[in-house]
Amino acid sequence: MSSSLKIKILLLPCITVLLASCVNLKHVGKFSETSIEGIEKYETISPGFSKVCLQDCQQTYIRKLQIHNTDCDCSQNQKADSITQVIYNATKGYFYGLSHLSQNELTNYKTDDFTEALATGDFGPITLNEADVKAYSDVSTLVLRAFTDGFRRKKIKEYVAQAHGPLLKLLHFLELNLTGNLKGKLEVQKSSLKNFYFDFIRDKKLSVYERTKFAEDYFQRITEIDKQQNELETFIKILREVAEAHTLLYNNVSNMSTEEVKKELAGYGRQMNKTISSLRRM
Amino acid sequence: MAHLKSEQVKDLADNLLRMTNGLGNYRYENSERLSEDENQRIKELHEKQLSHTTELYTKSAVLVMDDVETSLKQIDTITLETQELYKNLTTVQTVLDRATSVLTLAIAIIGLDPKGITASIKGLLAKTA
Repeated sequence: MSSSLKIKILLLPCITVLLASCVNLKHVGKFSETSIEGIEKYETISPGFSKVCLQDCQQTYIRKLQIHNTDCDCSQNQKADSITQVIYNATKGYFYGLSHLSQNELTNYKTDDFTEALATGDFGPITLNEADVKAYSDVSTLVLRAFTDGFRRKKIKEYVAQAHGPLLKLLHFLELNLTGNLKGKLEVQKSSLKNFYFDFIRDKKLSVYERTKFAEDYFQRITEIDKQQNELETFIKILREVAEAHTLLYNNVSNMSTEEVKKELAGYGRQMNKTISSLRRM
Repeated sequence: MAHLKSEQVKDLADNLLRMTNGLGNYRYENSERLSEDENQRIKELHEKQLSHTTELYTKSAVLVMDDVETSLKQIDTITLETQELYKNLTTVQTVLDRATSVLTLAIAIIGLDPKGITASIKGLLAKTA
């Protein structure tokens, strides 16, 4: 039996065992990436608390027909924006961490130089042919991956389990601030605009043209606010999908690499992508 | 107010908005019957109520900080840990690169190649730096 064949026979069971121990975490990485893409939509949607406050304040001066000495105190709203931003950053940061840990390329260490050094080296009486060198190199990569993948898998389990409670809480309060409070402020703004425009539109001392223009302005502003509110609602849908998918991972923390979990997680991913696309079209 | 939770304040704001809109609708639906003075008074009252309502929504958003403080700390710690772990895992590549350099040096020594030895040592030093 040639030395090359002996090596291959010896290597075969090792490779089989090692391949079995390498669990692919790509689906967790993919889920994290989609979650990041969805959560980061926060930066493109609607105005924040401060902007709504400034618009309201300017509207007060418009009512008074005043454009001089028009100071606006929006400090509390700036605080509300900062708090929302902090929650957003923490949520995003967690998914970046999870994504880094579950990416495959992390343990796809480059062994090309190592292979080349073995192949071209003169080791005295020992000569290695290229195929054997490649086999050695593949095994060393597998050993390395088996070790790190096992370690990563254990760590990811720990992180998902530890983070689940606080993450759901952060997502819930992000929702409260955006669809509860910010959307509420926009609702107030709509009522305030109606209160303002109503009397102009019904004022018979004004010309029909002027009254029509007021009505047009009113509907235009209401349409803009409706659009912002819809964006907020769609964004919250993404946050809910993220929460549901993370709950799936948490409930299957000991078997997160089964085909069933992979399939369900992919389903959530497709749903999230759909919602992200609909937000883009707004 | 200090004892109220952010969600309670938000619910209060929602209720206040419903009541306020009720007042607004009363004015819009009865504008023909109301005197100019009555109309003006209700209009101002309505606007003041709206101003208080929007302030309540902001208050609720600020109060959220008290509710999320612990969760924020927990998530930040977990994120930091994952980053640290990520850093440690990427150093395996450094170890591998270093091992390859040592192997190249060994080959040069076995081959009694002075130029190769010098180049390998330089390469190794560069990787260590």
